[in-house]
Amino acid sequence: MSAIPAPDLRAEMLRGAQSMAAAAPPSHERGITSDLSVDEALLIHAAGWEPLDLVCGVGVVSVPAGVWNWGRGMIDSASDSHDASVDIAAQQLRAECGKVKGHGVVGVRVEVSVHPHHVDVELVGTAVRPIHRKDPRGDDAALAMPFVSDLSARDFTLLLRAGWMPVGLAFGASFVYAPRRTAGTAMRQSTQNVELTNYTQAMYAARESAMEKMQRSALNVGGEGVVEVKVTEGPMRFARHAIGFTAWGTAVKLVAEEHQFVRPDMVLPLDDAVVQFEAESLRGTGSKGRRHR
Amino acid sequence: MTGPDTGGPPPDAAPGLAGGPHGDLPEAAVRRLESSAFSSGLTVPDFAACLDLGLEPVALVQGFCVMQWGWYGSGSGYMRGMSPFAAASQNAGAYSETYQCPHGFVGADHRMWGQNLEQSWVEAAWAQGYGSSYGRMVEEAEQHGAHGIIGVVDRVSNVADTGTTEFHFLGTAVTVKGGPPPAGGVPWSTFLAGQRLTKSIEAGFMPVAVVASMASVRVWAYCMTEYLMEGNYNWAPPRPVPVDQVSRAHMAVRQLARKHVRQMLAGDELHGAMIDIAHRELSQGDEVIDCTLRGNRMRRFKDYDEVALPRPTVRLA
Repeated sequence: MSAIPAPDLRAEMLRGAQSMAAAAPPSHERGITSDLSVDEALLIHAAGWEPLDLVCGVGVVSVPAGVWNWGRGMIDSASDSHDASVDIAAQQLRAECGKVKGHGVVGVRVEVSVHPHHVDVELVGTAVRPIHRKDPRGDDAALAMPFVSDLSARDFTLLLRAGWMPVGLAFGASFVYAPRRTAGTAMRQSTQNVELTNYTQAMYAARESAMEKMQRSALNVGGEGVVEVKVTEGPMRFARHAIGFTAWGTAVKLVAEEHQFVRPDMVLPLDDAVVQFEAESLRGTGSKGRRHR
Repeated sequence: MTGPDTGGPPPDAAPGLAGGPHGDLPEAAVRRLESSAFSSGLTVPDFAACLDLGLEPVALVQGFCVMQWGWYGSGSGYMRGMSPFAAASQNAGAYSETYQCPHGFVGADHRMWGQNLEQSWVEAAWAQGYGSSYGRMVEEAEQHGAHGIIGVVDRVSNVADTGTTEFHFLGTAVTVKGGPPPAGGVPWSTFLAGQRLTKSIEAGFMPVAVVASMASVRVWAYCMTEYLMEGNYNWAPPRPVPVDQVSRAHMAVRQLARKHVRQMLAGDELHGAMIDIAHRELSQGDEVIDCTLRGNRMRRFKDYDEVALPRPTVRLA
């Protein structure tokens, strides 16, 4: 890697100011929009890609009436609503990406809200495309099926460097009723410290179901695995007896012949420990001084 | 659609507070700005980076505007455009979609039609408040002969439950050492400061203005949307169904916000876009969805310099 000389910042600033001294000629070009930070934009450019447009996808799907009432086992209708919302939002995101000839969407922000009667999913990200070099998946394949990834530009760049590509968003969700014990069992166990096996089993099964769905959706988009998996769980705020589990991440695929080892350099920071003086130590009530890093 | 980068308050903006050669600045602002000391809202690292770039802070500049939101209830003139058959008649080109009930006449309370309607009067009011406060900040900077405003912070907040909204802008006016004044004397502006601004300049992007827009869409639900969103036992299908009217309204509001911002770009680029959604469910499936989109309008002044891929490191600490 050749070292690039540092630019003269003041000269660059002056050049920028001079460009603003005259009014810009009228332009009908479609300007680029992006929610990438300055760092991310520079990094993605260094990796040979460029941002194109801010793209969005939204899915709102109904949850059938009565599914949150007390019951047993999995709440399949709610899981189906969730999966359908994600699918619709991802399709819209891909469609918007396709309109600007993007090869994929990076840094997708995922927002899911489950309401008693509907599930809302919002996806927002930046469509990108390679600048000079070709897409490792092939340009036609990439345009036909742009990838959707919630990886940051930094992680996307690192993934490319390791010979992998994101292929899509992998999502799985499952909802389960908190199981109940019979009155007799509850009475018998009231004075015991015991494992509630029905709870353990129900929650275990629900978690596994969400993860399985996520892996299945990764395979459906041609992925070999899922990275940056996020898992959420908790009771529904409107139905405390129902617990929701979601798992999502970015499905990835090896596009190089084999994994490229990144071999990071090791950095040893030489910051000194700071001795922080505490005024209370003068009065003899506190410690004499603590070492903080 | 007026935007902050159009500069200057709209014609119906508030009259001057102090009058005279200093326009509508309050007297205290005039005295503060005439002082020989400079002020800046920059952090110390940002201040240092600003000096490295050859920027000299002039003053902390600000702009305010308090707006009242009118009442848009039934019978209000603002609700014209609601129609089962037509697009919004009072706003040519505004987004509007209608939905017809598949059931026929069922009863007086059955919602036989629905509409998604862009509330352009809400958007215009927001743009007026945002644009006026921005214009006042720029005016302060302009009076100091500043070339630009960096580290801009904008805040939109409700004032003490009075049904009013305050738009507030704050930034640090700067001059470029040895640089020419900007075209028309109107300072450029950016949310960026410090190293992020430095990196943008290094990469060949000069800030033009902070840009923002707000889009607002009202969902007037028809029967199917009402049943699906409210979980009606008798009418809603017993399986998950996409709620098209609401999905399309959500997409439309985001597309409108992007369209409005794009109109302000005039071929320039929008960096660091921030998109925020305020979503209020009313009743019977009705909703109001507001989307604000803000970012830095940047202009390329040189070709992108080659940027080497940074070396990955592992921190041993």
